[in-house]
Amino acid sequence: MYKLNFNFLERYGDMLLDGMKMTVIIVAWCLVIGLVLGTVMALLKQSKVRILRIFATVYVDILRNTPFLVQLFFFFYGLPALGIQTDAMATAVIALGINTSAQNCEIIRSGLLAVKKDYYECSGALGYTKMQTLWYFVLPISFRLAFKSLVNNFINLVLTSSVCFSITVVETMGAAKIIVGRTSRPFEIYLMILLCYCVFTYIISFIAKLVDRKIHIVL
Amino acid sequence: MSMIEVKNVTKSFGDLTVLKDFSVDFNQEGVTVLLGPSGTGKSTLLRCINGLETIDGGDIIVNGLSVKEKKNLRQIRLDCGMVFQRTVLFPHLNVMQNLTMSPIKLLKMNKKEAEEKAVLYLKKVGLESKAKAMHNELSGGEQQRIAIARALMMNPKALLLDEVTSALDPEMTSEVLKILETLAQEGVCMLCVTHEMQFAKHVASRIIFMDKGIAAADETAENFFSVVRKENERIAKFLQFIGE
Amino acid sequence: MSFYDYANLTGNDAMQYLRAAGVTLYITLMSLLIGTILGVVLGLIRCSKNKVISILPLILIEPLRNSPLVTQLFLIFYGLPIIGGIMLDPFPAAILALSLNTAAFMAVLVHNSVSAIPQGQWEAGLALGHSRGSTFIHVISRQALRLLVPQAITLYISQLQCSSLVALIGIMDLTKLGQNLALRTLKPFLIYGIVFLIYYVISSPLSRLAKSLEKKLSFHY
Repeated sequence: MYKLNFNFLERYGDMLLDGMKMTVIIVAWCLVIGLVLGTVMALLKQSKVRILRIFATVYVDILRNTPFLVQLFFFFYGLPALGIQTDAMATAVIALGINTSAQNCEIIRSGLLAVKKDYYECSGALGYTKMQTLWYFVLPISFRLAFKSLVNNFINLVLTSSVCFSITVVETMGAAKIIVGRTSRPFEIYLMILLCYCVFTYIISFIAKLVDRKIHIVL
Repeated sequence: MSMIEVKNVTKSFGDLTVLKDFSVDFNQEGVTVLLGPSGTGKSTLLRCINGLETIDGGDIIVNGLSVKEKKNLRQIRLDCGMVFQRTVLFPHLNVMQNLTMSPIKLLKMNKKEAEEKAVLYLKKVGLESKAKAMHNELSGGEQQRIAIARALMMNPKALLLDEVTSALDPEMTSEVLKILETLAQEGVCMLCVTHEMQFAKHVASRIIFMDKGIAAADETAENFFSVVRKENERIAKFLQFIGE
Repeated sequence: MSFYDYANLTGNDAMQYLRAAGVTLYITLMSLLIGTILGVVLGLIRCSKNKVISILPLILIEPLRNSPLVTQLFLIFYGLPIIGGIMLDPFPAAILALSLNTAAFMAVLVHNSVSAIPQGQWEAGLALGHSRGSTFIHVISRQALRLLVPQAITLYISQLQCSSLVALIGIMDLTKLGQNLALRTLKPFLIYGIVFLIYYVISSPLSRLAKSLEKKLSFHY
């Protein structure tokens, strides 16, 4: 019978923690990029200018229909070929942020579509400009409507960020891989990482539920 | 100078001409009621005044500013508050925030001042207990009353009311009309499209009867309900039809 | 062979692309097949009236849905042999990991689709003299299927893309081939352009299908 052995934690616990910190940093950046860029793309998709609409549609279509890992490699090998020198971490943030924005775009867009003409008219009649209407009413309402789906995407983002170790970023999974190489305890380590991610996503879901209760709206 | 001058306005939707070379002036006084069969351009006229619809010909001058200039629209909308048949309260804001947001953001009023003012208007529409409520906790009539208060918060020179009661059941209708009556007594200048004859009779100082895109009658309320209805067959028919 | 030739794509590389696409499709289809069957079974157990039985599948489903697929893959590929004492080849490991992952998501879709059918439909079936099983087969399952199919296709698309992770345990699928060729030719845009295109060609029609089915199959009570 195989005996589980978690002794590696003594020596390599700090390394794992550093990896987790890295995961949090990557995820935080990508959350921001994903929301901002996703909103921009959702707005471009309803733009009156045809070329902008097409651009956003193609952007989302390609990113949603190709694997993230390939996108990651594409940026990792492609950016230097363009003469842009960045470290692996920045590449990971860019690639994952862009990928997330495409996933978010569709959700934010369905939120935007749910804001009916009446709201635009009311705020227009009160004297708000188009930009003010967008900023004060349309976006806040859309985001509240889309909140649950955005949280799902965020959890996906957390899980997907684990792939970034493949371009040498030492986040949680990357740290795990290094420790496995030094201790030959793959089962315990990967099992532990797996459970850590579970705990992390549960915490996110829990917080999201509390937030949702506060900001939930009905139209 | 009149507050709102509508000069030879033409407006059509596709093949349908809704306003035909339409002219009328409104002064900043009393309550003017626009009457007439459906589809005769009453609502369209209000929407054109507020710049929500663009006009095809002629001009509308509000307080010296033409609606044809895009940059004037904002000032015009601040001058004319508008309430719709289906006004929406902003769903992510409670009643108090719905009332105070616009003065704070657009008129740069400070928050405390805005809230004091909001309490005043909430009392006026009889809903001071609902300050913390969200829109889905209010009945249709209460929402309309809040919407009226929200429009008044901006100190408009005139209030444009576009069939504000036609989506409400009779009980709520009367509570909204009561509010409007009070406002009229306080001298708020109003321009309303409505099918409520009792309201028109009691509150209006001037009645414009619109038919097929033109003003078929433009009279004082008294005159309209006594003399004109006997002379004009079409108006008589309309009033009969509407149950007056 | 001069360096110039070496750095260029050859006819042989075209064959490699085809083979790699075949590997990607093979792994995806196998794991979707196994995963769907397992997922439907788990999903139906979730629908059981017995509370204890119905939560049992969650023991499997929850960790699989809330942890990264790559961790699951590594746990199976590197971890299982150590405690089990058997060497797993990359292929079975990949298919096992993807199947389990698919099954977890599928089970949730099945459970949600069945739960979405109003209680009244059950009552109607039972009132007509059907047994619970018979009501499920004749009344509930057909309506649930209409909800399920578009979502399942969306899941399949996502799993196709997830299959790229098998490159990380050394399987020569499209992703791995792309990486190899990119390193050899130093033309990342061309190489990955082709890789993107192949994935896109497989995935995009499915996306469209899912969207149109969603519209076509949707209904209101």
